[in-house]
Amino acid sequence: MTVDIPKPVLVRALPLEGLADAIHVELGLGGRIAHLTARKRPDGLTLIAVMMPAGGHGIELWEADIEPDATTYRSLTPRVSQVHWYERYIWDMFGLCPEGHPRLKSLILHEAWPSGYHPLSETRDIEDFAEAPARSYEFLEVHGDGIYEIPVGPIHAGIIEPGHFRFSCVGEVIQNLEIRLGYQHRGIETMLQAAPINRLPLLAESIATDTPVGNALAHARAMEQVAGLQLTPAAVWLRALALEIERVASHVSDLGGICADIGYIGGAAAFSKLRGRVLGLGERLTGTRLQTSFVVPGGVRIPLTDKLRTSIGAEAEGVEKDFRRAQPRLLETFGALERMDGAGKVKLSLARDFGLVGPAGRASGIAYDVREWLNEEPYSTLGWEPATGDQGDVLARVTMRCDEVRASLSIIHGILETLPNGNPLPISRIQRLPANSVGIGTVEAWRGELVHTIITGNDGNIERYAIKDPSTNNWTGLAIAVRGRLVTDFPLCNKSFSLSYSGNDL
Amino acid sequence: MIKTLIELARAGSSTPRELFPDLPSYSRGLPMVTSKDCVMGCVKCESTCPTSAITFVSGNLEIDRGQCIACGECVDSCPTGAIESDRSTRVAALTREDLILRKPELALHKKEPLPGQFRNSLHVREVSTGDPASDLEVSASDNPIFDGSRFGIHVVASPRFADALVITGPVGRAMQEPLLRCYEAMATPRLVVAVGAAAISGAPYFGGYAGANGVSAVLPVDVFVPGNPPHPWYILHGLMLGMGHKALGMKRW
Repeated sequence: MTVDIPKPVLVRALPLEGLADAIHVELGLGGRIAHLTARKRPDGLTLIAVMMPAGGHGIELWEADIEPDATTYRSLTPRVSQVHWYERYIWDMFGLCPEGHPRLKSLILHEAWPSGYHPLSETRDIEDFAEAPARSYEFLEVHGDGIYEIPVGPIHAGIIEPGHFRFSCVGEVIQNLEIRLGYQHRGIETMLQAAPINRLPLLAESIATDTPVGNALAHARAMEQVAGLQLTPAAVWLRALALEIERVASHVSDLGGICADIGYIGGAAAFSKLRGRVLGLGERLTGTRLQTSFVVPGGVRIPLTDKLRTSIGAEAEGVEKDFRRAQPRLLETFGALERMDGAGKVKLSLARDFGLVGPAGRASGIAYDVREWLNEEPYSTLGWEPATGDQGDVLARVTMRCDEVRASLSIIHGILETLPNGNPLPISRIQRLPANSVGIGTVEAWRGELVHTIITGNDGNIERYAIKDPSTNNWTGLAIAVRGRLVTDFPLCNKSFSLSYSGNDL
Repeated sequence: MIKTLIELARAGSSTPRELFPDLPSYSRGLPMVTSKDCVMGCVKCESTCPTSAITFVSGNLEIDRGQCIACGECVDSCPTGAIESDRSTRVAALTREDLILRKPELALHKKEPLPGQFRNSLHVREVSTGDPASDLEVSASDNPIFDGSRFGIHVVASPRFADALVITGPVGRAMQEPLLRCYEAMATPRLVVAVGAAAISGAPYFGGYAGANGVSAVLPVDVFVPGNPPHPWYILHGLMLGMGHKALGMKRW
């Protein structure tokens, strides 16, 4: 028995001048734009938008050709604010300038890179740019009496990924936060376009190594759609099991981080211990603590033995018990509540405008979860409902993540109870991909909506591999959340979003 | 507050006394070369390895753990058991050459740690350059389970206070200068510890236009901790090797 692969992506060609309006209308109807990027065609560039239209469970790819040899187009950001980072990425990587963008500057490639070098549209090597001057970058300057700046990063004081934060403050109050990332750019989209097929899953899960299952699953789904690969129900369920274990481990780890940022060491110790226990579930399932090299196109790499299934079940019950004891340590401790309540608020209207996703979006009241939107197995069978919130502050995001831990633990329990029989290993391996085909893999990773888009060319080679990490949506949410708050609230706000730097830097 | 204290007391200590215990049987670990012979002419492992960590040098199998991302494909593909999963957690090394595994009878003598180099206390500054999983495991090496603090290992906030620079990730173009400046801000003597396959060799990101080819391209490395991401025990082993810690040879603490 096999599961049907999702129906092929509907590709719609739109005129460039109508694209912004069409997206605006779709958003008004309750649809979503999951990604906006570009791809090369023989005589120029094409804008591509991954759309999740309202009402349906399908995914669409909207394409709008840019005129041959044009190096500019009219920016969509004034009409659709949430694409503002995507357009800056397009400018960096393709050299295509969105005219009329309200804050046009580089997103990924800053002073360390030569000007004129745009990796995704360039045919020359970077070595040929040795003589080119370095790129420049100007921070937004806030003017007024008593304004001063605090530059932080790229290297931080804690054990955390590199990125630069520029605070403009009056006294202790943040007036503006500019977030400058890109320090970890590894050129992974280009690698995915050039690598042999057997290397792809490994590269895909290395996009953000703290989300290996999410990325491997998005990759696998996109590849399955391109190649028309079928998989067994057992494979679908085991992949969901790994994804939920990853969600629980990451949320628990960040709850400990929240405690540490408040200076609440008892709570931090309890949650970091619990994280170790959750990783043990994944280690039993996949052989590694972070569950690497498990999800592959067509299925999973290792079947689950009855013995391990029982032991995961028993251990998951222990985790549930521990979590029930640990949660009140954070959510019922006055000192912790006092710090979290009302801090770093993001209003629903702003969360909508900037397209916040995942737990951060849901904490502000956006009821959007890819697992529910796609109505996918095993969630539809297990009868599950995503957690919701509305306050949009640190407390709401922390509560949301506690709720998600409990929901995921009950999903894990459900999967172990009713796991379908059968072989979860790939039925066949992909040897080569069909020509001119599109696959879009969408996953509700622990940070939210993660999208991998694969487009093959005339020869069946991958012509464009585009990645959208949920963090690209949510970084703007963090900048909004800290505005008007004390500088000392920043670590707490930052941890409550817990965004990926490397997933954004690619 | 009282409830938290009661809860902590109830939970008790979760730090195992055993040092560097073997990984559990279901764990994949890193690959190792056993004394079993290969099938003549078989290159299955070499062709299946996604990061080219396996080579045959004059017919003899060699695994470079610095490039190995621990996917386990070679172990699965080996018909004779010449490659097996290694459950040991003492896998860090003091030279790049020591990460290259051969059949036991062909193995070279490993570089020994200098005794008491940092007098049983090591202050560590971590710089992340693109491998957040290894960051998580570096944090875990100081959690209540692994408890690096008991060996005198402390994470500090500035390179000015640090004896060792722990680097994760492949060090792409934009992180090379910040990393170098961080290193220059440290007092001597200092250690540089590369944690994870990405930091050691850039695997699997090497060869791209971003020049993300590992720490060695930017700084001299003193300790190599393989794995993707390395287990917290691997990381503690590496740090203790760098220190020449007295507990290295102990079974229990």
